[in-house]
Amino acid sequence: MLLTPYRVLDLTDERGMLAGQILADLGADVIAVEPPGGSSARGVGPFAGGDADPNRSLFWWSYARNKRGISCNLDHSDGQALLRQLAATADFVIESDDVGVMARRGLGYDDLSAGRDDLIYTSISAFGQTGPKASYEATDLILMAAGGPLILAGGAGEEPVRVSVPQAWLHASGEAATAAMIALRHRTASGEGQHIDISAQQSVAAATMSAVLAASVGAPETARVAGGMAVGPFTGRLIWEAADGYISLTFLFGAGIGPFSRRLFQWMSDEGACTQEDRDLDWIGLGAEFISGQRPLSEWSRLIDVVAAFIRSRTRDELFAEAQSRSLLIVPVTTVDEVANFEQFEARDFWREHDMPHWPDPVRFPGPFVKLSSHEIEFRRRAPDCGEHNAEVYGELGLDGADLAELSEKGVI
Amino acid sequence: MTSAVPNQPGIPTAGALAGLKVLDLMWVVAGPTATRTMADFGATVVRIESANRIETARGLGPWYNNTQGPEHSGLFGNMNINKLGLSLNLATEEAREVLLDLIDWCDVLCESFSPRAMRSWGMDYESLRERQPDLIMLSTCLFGQEGPLSQVAGFGTMGAAIGGYIALAGQPGGAPVGPYSAYTDYLSPRFSLPTILAALDHRDRTGEGVYIDQAQAESSLHFMSTALLDYTINGNVPQLVGNADPSMAPHGCFAAAGDDDWVAIAVRDDHDFQLLCAAMRQPELASDARFAGLAARQANERELAAIISAWTAESGAVQIEYMLQAFGVPAHAVSNSGAAAADPQFEHRGHFVQMEHEVHGQIVFEAAKGQMSATPPTYRSAAPGIGRDNELVLRELLGYTDEQIANLAIADALT
Repeated sequence: MLLTPYRVLDLTDERGMLAGQILADLGADVIAVEPPGGSSARGVGPFAGGDADPNRSLFWWSYARNKRGISCNLDHSDGQALLRQLAATADFVIESDDVGVMARRGLGYDDLSAGRDDLIYTSISAFGQTGPKASYEATDLILMAAGGPLILAGGAGEEPVRVSVPQAWLHASGEAATAAMIALRHRTASGEGQHIDISAQQSVAAATMSAVLAASVGAPETARVAGGMAVGPFTGRLIWEAADGYISLTFLFGAGIGPFSRRLFQWMSDEGACTQEDRDLDWIGLGAEFISGQRPLSEWSRLIDVVAAFIRSRTRDELFAEAQSRSLLIVPVTTVDEVANFEQFEARDFWREHDMPHWPDPVRFPGPFVKLSSHEIEFRRRAPDCGEHNAEVYGELGLDGADLAELSEKGVI
Repeated sequence: MTSAVPNQPGIPTAGALAGLKVLDLMWVVAGPTATRTMADFGATVVRIESANRIETARGLGPWYNNTQGPEHSGLFGNMNINKLGLSLNLATEEAREVLLDLIDWCDVLCESFSPRAMRSWGMDYESLRERQPDLIMLSTCLFGQEGPLSQVAGFGTMGAAIGGYIALAGQPGGAPVGPYSAYTDYLSPRFSLPTILAALDHRDRTGEGVYIDQAQAESSLHFMSTALLDYTINGNVPQLVGNADPSMAPHGCFAAAGDDDWVAIAVRDDHDFQLLCAAMRQPELASDARFAGLAARQANERELAAIISAWTAESGAVQIEYMLQAFGVPAHAVSNSGAAAADPQFEHRGHFVQMEHEVHGQIVFEAAKGQMSATPPTYRSAAPGIGRDNELVLRELLGYTDEQIANLAIADALT
């Protein structure tokens, strides 16, 4: 696999586990290190069966896959010594602890890179390793507020609203995997490793479609619009009510979207749902007509109403089927159950079933995030139990059963 | 904000990815985000565009100096910093010949056409690998290269719908509102780019090229794995819950004193709640039975929200943030772009970068996300106007002669 030669020591919890998973999926030997009592990520729900159980955290199951798992008490001096030994065998270290904690344990970048110039050490934190907010308390909601996506989502004048499945730390983890790979290329060329400092606040700013730049470039704030986005003086409406639920339809003019809008109006015209004049509008240049005043802005609202009435008269399936034959920008707004049963994902053989030791039935997981010509991203290992690979990994350091028993006795592993 | 950096298009010579050659046939956000990062860290990225089909991002704001136009898009500008721009009219045979020369030149070819386009030009991976066995090629689109929906044109706004994200944001009982705009465009680069870089490392060790087929909708499902498992295992389908959280209460945005001024507050446990009561100078709430423990606070969330809102209405969101964080309560102003520009942490990180610009005076864009101690990103040039770097690319990168370039112009290949 692509990253087979490399070893990653993954010290992250729920704030960074996706980073190691991306590298593990790409073939790296990723060793997830948990405290002897289990990672805090095991406390993150939902849980298989519903009740909180550290062996049934769906978060752990999702983001510890393809990793080996060991336990190590990083607050114990023997644990710190063990970790330093392990780090000497690793190409990458990834951590997501509160700022300063790893350095206090003697496990910061300066400590672990001493004598190891080529170590790539990635720190994931809420706001970055330094700065006035580096020690801020943070959660998913706080980061989405701080980075800019939150103010953009929700109804005008209403409370901004987040995606209910936490996203912020996943964004940061993705940036961490990317930066680690950039650092690898530099290391291959120069032999030099480095310290990477990832801020979740900066990472989630990417989820604003650059609206976070508005004031800085001299543009007005982006208005919050329920189910749409403001495009200058226009509302680009994205979410529409169909006869039996919601669909997404990107409806706008211009070179990119205009041709799709023209085809939509051709269909509506075929069905007698719009006038010939509307069908024959210049869907590429319409924006200029509005801006120049040649056509009043109220015309755009009227066109939205015409489309809305048509959409309301059709079911989601009808709209989606016609979208495929006429090349329209319409898809259903799917709920999680529909996502899980969506035909395209089935047809591409996306899902992967695996047996899990703490659950009676096979579990179906999201599959490869990309398909490769040279290799398959495989589900080689299920998420490990706490300390499952202690004997194997510590054995590679030369520790035997008696050593491990002693470490266990001392509460180190 | 520090002073503006100069805007000098050229071939980068330093950086973690110096020497890496990337041909960028992508558009809008999902693809260009990935190539922008490569350019920031020193790769030479040639972005192909045509004036005959203005790319969608050029039609979207925020607009420099609040002036619309294809050369004024702050979105396009942000996505394409540091790239070189070559205009090619791919409807002509001559332009497609230039494209083949660029494919021979590059290490990495990235394209986000619909699956039939590259095939129709004979530039699908199977054909190209015969020319160049060690090519790394990314094809990225919403649904991937195969499957019944592979030909469906798709933007990230549709990915947000089909990937389940829109149905996860909204108020209980209301219509879904979704996250802002093309949500899956923000997720897919987090998977495509590490894969490209891993493939390059593999190629350098083995000589083997790699083709990467990315269905953006599939990549994005890794950001909602837990909800998918909760459904397939437990049968739960998430409903719209506003900002409620199963393990935190109070948890949401509260109106502050200003116009559209909100502060996000997340109380993780009883300890946080004690601190919140102390910060609000309402210690009696801390021992109020209605709010003792998570379950009670969730059951009486509306009453509690009314009390907190009465308090937050007295002050600005930023002031409330500072006060609550001083007490150790997770809180932050819900930043709009003005608040972000004034945010001392963004300032400390150098998140907003100013660059000189011949048309706009100066432009501002976002810094690279990863801060790297040994190989910091560099900011060399603004996003290209259409065809800005034709001479540089054709002459210096491809070694074309004056005559060749003139013939391309005559053939209408460079529009």
